[in-house]
Amino acid sequence: MPPRVDREKCDGCKAEEEPLCAQICPGDLMVLGENKKAYCRAARDCWDCMSCTKVCPVGAIETRAPYQLGYHVAKLIPMMGTNTITWTCIDINGKVERFRYKNRTT
Amino acid sequence: MAKDLPKDLKDIPTEVIETDLLIVGGGNAGCFAAIEAKKLNPNLRVTIMEKAHISRSGATAAGMDAINTYIPEGKTPEDLVRWSRSQVGGGPIREDLALSNAQNLNEAVEDLEEWGLPILRDEEGNAQYRGGWDVSIHGEQLKPIMAEKAMAMGAEVYNRIAATSLLMDGDRCVGAMGFGVRDGKFYIFRAKAVIVSTGGACGLYKSYTSDATSSHHQTWMSPFNVGTGYAMGIRQGAEMTSLEQRWVATRTKDFCGPVDTISVGYKSSITNARGERILQERYAHLGGDKAPRYIRANAPMEEWLAGRGPTYADTTHMTPEEVKDMKTDYLNERPAFVLFLAARGQDITKDPIEIYGSDPYVVGGHTQSGYWVDIERMTTVSALFAAGETAGGNPNKFVGGCAAEGKLATRGAVKYMATVTLPELDTQQVEREKERIFAPLLRGPEFDGVSQTEMEERMQRLMDEYAGGTSQFYRTNEERLDYALKHLKMLRDQTKFLYAKDLHDLMNAHEVIDRLDVAEVLVHHLKFRKETRWQGWQTRSDYPDTDPKFDCFVESRRNKETGEIEMFTRPYEQIVPGDRYQP
Amino acid sequence: MSKPVPKIALFIWDPGERLARGLDLEALLQKFSKAKGVARAEVIADPWSAAWFASIKEDLAAGRIDRILWVGHFTPQQMKILQGELQPAGLNTFLHHWCDLEEQGILLAGIDQGVRNRKVLALLEMALARTRLLEPLEPLELPASEAMLIIGAGVAGIHTAASLAELGKRVYLVEKESGVGGKVALLSRFYPRLCDPHCGLQHALDRLHASQLVEFHTLATVMSLEGGPGNFAARIQKRPRYVNEQRCNGCGVCTGVCPVKVPGAPGDRDVFPQAGASPQPDRKAIHPAFPLAFPPAYVIDREDCLAGCRECEQVCPAQAVELNQTPEEQVLNVGAVLVTTGWDPYPLDRVAEFGYGRHPRMISNLEMETLLGAELQRPAPDFLGSGLREVGFIQCAGSRDERHLKYCSAVCCAVTLKQALTFKELAPEANCYVFFMDMRCPGFNEELYRRARDQGVIFIRERPTSVKIDETTGKLNIRVKDPILERPVRVDLDLLVLAGGMAPAEGTPDLARVLNLPQNQYGFFESHQQCHPEESQRTGIFVGGCAREPMNVSQSIESAHLAAMKALKFLQGSVIIEPTYPVVDKTRCDQCKRCVEECPFGSFGFDEKSFPTPDLARCRQCGNCMGVCPLGVISLRHHTIKQTAAQVEALNPAFMGEGEPVILAFLCANDAYPAARAAVDQGLPVPPNVISIKVPCAGSVNNALVADALSFGIDGVLIAGCRDDQCHYVRGSQLVQKRSGDLGEKLRTMMLEPARVRFESLEIRESQRYVDLLQAYIEDLKAMGANPFKI
Repeated sequence: MPPRVDREKCDGCKAEEEPLCAQICPGDLMVLGENKKAYCRAARDCWDCMSCTKVCPVGAIETRAPYQLGYHVAKLIPMMGTNTITWTCIDINGKVERFRYKNRTT
Repeated sequence: MAKDLPKDLKDIPTEVIETDLLIVGGGNAGCFAAIEAKKLNPNLRVTIMEKAHISRSGATAAGMDAINTYIPEGKTPEDLVRWSRSQVGGGPIREDLALSNAQNLNEAVEDLEEWGLPILRDEEGNAQYRGGWDVSIHGEQLKPIMAEKAMAMGAEVYNRIAATSLLMDGDRCVGAMGFGVRDGKFYIFRAKAVIVSTGGACGLYKSYTSDATSSHHQTWMSPFNVGTGYAMGIRQGAEMTSLEQRWVATRTKDFCGPVDTISVGYKSSITNARGERILQERYAHLGGDKAPRYIRANAPMEEWLAGRGPTYADTTHMTPEEVKDMKTDYLNERPAFVLFLAARGQDITKDPIEIYGSDPYVVGGHTQSGYWVDIERMTTVSALFAAGETAGGNPNKFVGGCAAEGKLATRGAVKYMATVTLPELDTQQVEREKERIFAPLLRGPEFDGVSQTEMEERMQRLMDEYAGGTSQFYRTNEERLDYALKHLKMLRDQTKFLYAKDLHDLMNAHEVIDRLDVAEVLVHHLKFRKETRWQGWQTRSDYPDTDPKFDCFVESRRNKETGEIEMFTRPYEQIVPGDRYQP
Repeated sequence: MSKPVPKIALFIWDPGERLARGLDLEALLQKFSKAKGVARAEVIADPWSAAWFASIKEDLAAGRIDRILWVGHFTPQQMKILQGELQPAGLNTFLHHWCDLEEQGILLAGIDQGVRNRKVLALLEMALARTRLLEPLEPLELPASEAMLIIGAGVAGIHTAASLAELGKRVYLVEKESGVGGKVALLSRFYPRLCDPHCGLQHALDRLHASQLVEFHTLATVMSLEGGPGNFAARIQKRPRYVNEQRCNGCGVCTGVCPVKVPGAPGDRDVFPQAGASPQPDRKAIHPAFPLAFPPAYVIDREDCLAGCRECEQVCPAQAVELNQTPEEQVLNVGAVLVTTGWDPYPLDRVAEFGYGRHPRMISNLEMETLLGAELQRPAPDFLGSGLREVGFIQCAGSRDERHLKYCSAVCCAVTLKQALTFKELAPEANCYVFFMDMRCPGFNEELYRRARDQGVIFIRERPTSVKIDETTGKLNIRVKDPILERPVRVDLDLLVLAGGMAPAEGTPDLARVLNLPQNQYGFFESHQQCHPEESQRTGIFVGGCAREPMNVSQSIESAHLAAMKALKFLQGSVIIEPTYPVVDKTRCDQCKRCVEECPFGSFGFDEKSFPTPDLARCRQCGNCMGVCPLGVISLRHHTIKQTAAQVEALNPAFMGEGEPVILAFLCANDAYPAARAAVDQGLPVPPNVISIKVPCAGSVNNALVADALSFGIDGVLIAGCRDDQCHYVRGSQLVQKRSGDLGEKLRTMMLEPARVRFESLEIRESQRYVDLLQAYIEDLKAMGANPFKI
């Protein structure tokens, strides 16, 4: 499940040594490129845990379903609150589903 | 951020860190181990060595939707052991470990709740059980919560350090070695006791989802857990148990995501292309819907093999509210599955969720593969303790159980280290290891060799075809296993041709090397158990029935001098009375 | 091992029964007395009654209550009194929360009663949610130095040092030249009295010596500044003087034997000062300090010496010459820093149309000072030789000019008038012509202009575009069209003074880097122009005089004194830190350093593990770090993200009923909140749809809170702060706009309207605008429909 980085929005976390997505990826797959933008070095190795997508402060990362498994332009967008997470899912027919639940009690 | 590759071992700096308790692998069990250690003695130096970043590393990276298990009101730890035993077809299991785990289980789960994990409770405050033993949670933050607690308690965390080998003093483990995936340094951790909690081993077998482009890691289990912990112990002659009891499970087809959520949580039966409810139809004598796990894992595959596929979890009866709840569960554990359904525009009340068997894994939190440990969780290597999925003998630990194992292993380790002093550093040993670690990187960009991807794919197809992978519907036989051993030997010999072009590659290269070591032992285990006791997990076409001679544990140990894998058995001991085959 | 349950006392104060008329207070009390954590709930008749206070103190002592939620309209003064009364009884001043229902518009006319009731419930739930999470806090007292560092010993620096010393404060005066006095020591006269500047300088020096608390470090520059207000450590580097400061008594015998003569501004009257010549008079390699001969010890410019020469050393009667001196470093521990590094003249050769440098009689106004000063000291019978009869001045030479200095240099008009008057004093028959665009003589300086006109100075309101040199006569020829006479005017000048402007001192960028001080668009040290002109953007570092902007001498002295006054706060031997400072949760911090970059005051340093750590004395507690942190791990104590999140969660998003949107407004304490409050006080028709939370700065609002609000079903989130160029914390408004923009983008991908989140700027009295923008916002939200998350 390759993460797709929007190069317009990505600011490489201000080109600090390790952007947030690179810090968090359990597979060490996100990396800061020469153009100071983040990218996934091996889409085939992604496990789609979506940690990168959740952590990006400018919302530049999108997790996409590989085309082998599903069809194009479906979206699943997490939005991190303080103790709550919201998910918006838009399927290929444009149907929108929304989910919200607490992910921390304190 | 291209770094200049070192040209010589001398260019690679070494960091030596001394600590009291070293925890290799900062996952669920590892974090709990660290927390428990600091609780027992705040002055203890506790160090976590983690390949990724503990906030999201390991199998719980995306979260969890349930804690299986948590003993409900009215049930006892013995009840849990009985259930666990029956789930693996009566065992044999290490009932001593299972009992001590069950006795510490609820405390671990309650810890998590106190630290902020939302456990779903009803108006009266009772936890909502979805099966007999599993409680629903909103666990999207499960891993960060555990990781933060470990840090808050004062554990020293070294992120992005890949462990490669144990540090030994004769037969005693005195630490571990590895390298920095970001800084490229050689790391030596010296410790009075070591807990290895690196999780299970995924990617020994080729996943059927492994198409070329974007789905290589479309596995149920975390593909970043490769069995390094097992491999490090194997290389030092540690005794392993029950590796032949591989974990194979029914999973959503192609996506390879969890299915218990649906089948158990929403009572969706497994059906085949004809709409037959398989478990009731064909496995009623084994308990039907409550049949042991491996029956449920294998059932869809048998249907496919017999030409009655595809197979489904029948979700057509679910109400819209239930669908929403189910998707919320998935969002907590494997969120991309919701995306998967959306990418097909799939309405599961009309199109049920397709299921299939997964590729086989070695994961001691679900089955009982792993290190042979004593009641203190010490392995057969002195001062080396195993916690969580790395420890064998006790299946059905899952999240709660692995957390409890972390605590237990720490208690064992802390008791042990009271009398320990650290020896001088064995410079020859560390030099050898440093050379071994960095060899692929130092071979240089012009080296005519093999990439880790190539070697990994070769190994995975070998295991799949010859050691009972999904393409073979988990079946294997003596001749194929011998073939596998022969080629695994060649592969292991060919690791000298591995090259790495950067530190990430180097990490992947060592993952392949570790997987090969585990695969070899696994195949020996499969060879040795000449029966079929847990169909699917361990199917011998040449020995299709159970043989009472093998009502025991199958053990292995690598001979450090010869490198040969020695196989033997240990007897099963029933501690909790009752019918082994009934919960 | 669970957390202690809070024990809240909930008091409703309703004098005049204004709340009671619109609400059923009894029912509210009934409901909330059973709420989680509430131990006592009542309507209080008189918050000033001794008996009632006694009952609270009893409850506190018995541990029955441990915090208070006050519901009612209390003034800040009243709040302080109540907090003060209860503190001795053991109730920490931070364990109070104030919920003003009226301020939230509960009593405004025309609100449906159902809405009113539900809104009150929401407000009280929110208030309780926050009250439960309050923590007791104590201010910190950090030990501090009582010494002051003043960089730049010009007129502002010296006067301020003297004043501070008189207050008993030790002062380190660091000066890069060998002597003090700066530009003022080069001037011929002060206006308006036309008195000698050295008189004032000397007087200030006398005051300094009297106290003995001022330590001079000349030939010195500041290399680094570590620490924070109250506890700065400034490392200075001193270039060698080659003369022992203690031994030298300034006898001057050395200059007699020194074989090297270095020409300065010529004393020979027949030769005009060359453009760019050093203002220093002729000197030897060893010479008195410059510009003022103070400190009295001489100084050797070693690069002027002849190789191997040791004449001065051999002859010095006090054995004060030390040719082997090396640069020295020293660390000064101070509580505050004042920058009074002054200005440098704008290089006039860049103003190409005049051709400065082509002619010895075309000089700058600063060079004119040297000329006049020399003449005033040693007047000649025929001033400056023969033929000096026609003198011209061109104003705004390089100032108020897009190509050069865009600003007005403030003093050049008065300086020209001063110079013209002085010149007329020395040579009464001379003619002075002033070419100007405007004559800027504000205040009492108008008198200078009148005097100049009375003395016959001719003012021509046109700026020449070129200056011609007459090859035959050697005179400088200017032609303009006089706009009043509407006729061409031509003058042939013996001397032309270009009134050049004041540019930031040459060393400003280096010093700015060392002190980490931002410079403004003109290159001067940035300060807050209206309200806090003496403050830089770095707490504890102040700027005074022309280092800040062009100004005259009196103003320089004033501004530096103002800065010193503010600096006194950090020179008391200890610094009190209000406990509402930011705390970084290092277990969750991933060192992305956004807080470090975005802090408008450069308050963040790093600890030994590279975690960002705020310097509590530098920190101004604006909360922008809390706002920008992508993981929400920084919180201001008493304004934590979790406390605010609890309030947001407690807000019932359906309190307006069907079809009416609910807006959560974060209002900055400085401008937006007073504007909103005034709207209610003025009885303006504030829509009931909005519930507001006061925040220290708009920039302190973290995106996670906005995400929370939307995910709970609130229809719109308003963040209101100061205008971008008026933000009290420099750029809080800007920062939050960028972040909300990013969040808006994400909302769009989620099929939520980005316009649900908006930023508005409000000035402190824009109460009507607040109402107008809310009404427009509500219309927009109605058109969008309810938030789909309103489940």
